Amino acid sequence: MVEDTDMKEHIVCPFCGCLCDDIIIGLEGNQIKENKNGCAISKAKFLNHHDDRLEMNAPLDELVEKAAKIIANSKRLLVYGLSSTENDAHREAYKIAEVAGGVVDNTSSVCHGPTILGAQESGEAHAALAETRHRADLVIYWGSNPQFAHPRHLSRYTRAPGFYIKDGKKDRQIWVVDVRKTISATVANRFVRVAPGSDLEVLCALRAIARGKVLDVDEIGGISVKELTEIVEAMKNAKYGVLFFGLGLTQSKGRHRNIDAAIRLIQDMNVYTKWGMMPMRGHYNVAGANKTSTWQTGYPYAVDYARGYPRYQPGEYTAVDMLVRGEPDAVLNIAADPAAHFPKEAVKHLSKIPVINIDPKRNMTSLLAAVNIPTAIAGIECDGAATRMDGLPLYLKKVVDPPEGMLPDRDVLRMIYEEVRRMKK
Amino acid sequence: MSRVGVEALLTSGRTLKQGRAMELGKLGPEYLKEVAYCEMDTVTLESLGLEEGDPVLVETQYGSVIVSSKVDRRAEPGVVFIPCGPYANAVIGSETESTGMPKFKGITAQLFAAKGKTVLDVEKLLKKMVEGA
Ligand code: SF4
Repeated sequence: MVEDTDMKEHIVCPFCGCLCDDIIIGLEGNQIKENKNGCAISKAKFLNHHDDRLEMNAPLDELVEKAAKIIANSKRLLVYGLSSTENDAHREAYKIAEVAGGVVDNTSSVCHGPTILGAQESGEAHAALAETRHRADLVIYWGSNPQFAHPRHLSRYTRAPGFYIKDGKKDRQIWVVDVRKTISATVANRFVRVAPGSDLEVLCALRAIARGKVLDVDEIGGISVKELTEIVEAMKNAKYGVLFFGLGLTQSKGRHRNIDAAIRLIQDMNVYTKWGMMPMRGHYNVAGANKTSTWQTGYPYAVDYARGYPRYQPGEYTAVDMLVRGEPDAVLNIAADPAAHFPKEAVKHLSKIPVINIDPKRNMTSLLAAVNIPTAIAGIECDGAATRMDGLPLYLKKVVDPPEGMLPDRDVLRMIYEEVRRMKK
Repeated sequence: MSRVGVEALLTSGRTLKQGRAMELGKLGPEYLKEVAYCEMDTVTLESLGLEEGDPVLVETQYGSVIVSSKVDRRAEPGVVFIPCGPYANAVIGSETESTGMPKFKGITAQLFAAKGKTVLDVEKLLKKMVEGA
């Protein structure tokens, strides 16, 4: 007998910062058989959720005790990750950092950390995705390749028809500014190639032109002044513009200064018309990690509890800097893979100290870890809350049961916290 | 290995297949295929005397790594790309200029033909990275 497929609707995809909430999952018993509406990455995430899992190589209690011992004995604990798990797990992680007098940082320090620094300098000219879809007649992606990193961003928000924008293709212009002609550039209405490392100059030139300054050169950052002037005019004449920016701005020369300049450009544009901007957040809940960290510690990332109260200092308490200085004597890594995403020097130190790795799947960090604790996948095997790139919180649903004995991250972290507290008494 | 190289700016970033492969398993062959390559324009590939798929050595002041070569028909000479992941990270610096953010994009690199050399798998690369060889 063929089992009936049970369709679950309005499932939120826990992969990228788009947090698409229109996924339909087809289930046969406890098996995911189908993912409708999801992009290729979403399909891979849901349909292969039980592949390549981290194994529980000892009873959970033992693993928790081992982890707690490492934490309780550490002098300089680094708690890191958090962007690919849900908000309740974050809370427990901050509690562990506090009780151990350690540092807690999330993956935004290597993605949109500079965005936060830029906003702390210049404010936040935020937009929302629904607003973009309904109102924006000019959308710019700067240093971002949504077709690859956020595959449904265009089809759901910027090419989709909205309330005022009846035809997402005809009534809206999409531009891509990048150092490479990316796949997204090929589907855009206009591609502007900027010379690598010159985003800051280009942004400042745009601001100068907008203010009526005459530039004494022919080109800036590989773009002719004539083209820059055209860009400014089009931006001024848009009814509603949105600038989406990616790691092309935050990870290249200038880092937070690029963001600072971009924010000021958008502020300048609001003298003439309406403009907003938004970082293209990568991990599905990295925006949430910044929020929960701010709620609980007062700061969005790079928080040190060594003195018993939280202090904030990017460059000091950010994970890469700490590891390169050889400072942490233990790392608690949750839902991230620093061994795959940090520069070599940082990974080297990671290999010398005990790492407690909490993740549903095997990854490069799990190869280095002293203790690996497998958990349930948030948004597929357990519920939770996450924050979309525009700041909208969404509820992640449980679709199937986790593999036997696997608990959500929040439960494992709570157990570790209780155990550390007991040991520290 | 040829010591006549081509200089370019190395940048890294996400790709759709890299995202998909992460979900299929980071230690599996799919992930290796999707992160262990360097994308370049045809002129750069030809100047190196390579055919698409041949191994290429990417060297920066921070280290070197062997990956396979790939053509990006839209690319122009001067900028090459490795998907974000351990292979790109093997050649980027860790200096963050007090921001927390290493420079993942826009590093000066030299490319050399590396015919006959093999691309290490993820586990071997990690071993090499931590042992500092
Ligand atoms: S665009 Fe992002 S959130 Fe939406 S389905 Fe694809 S991976 Fe999931």
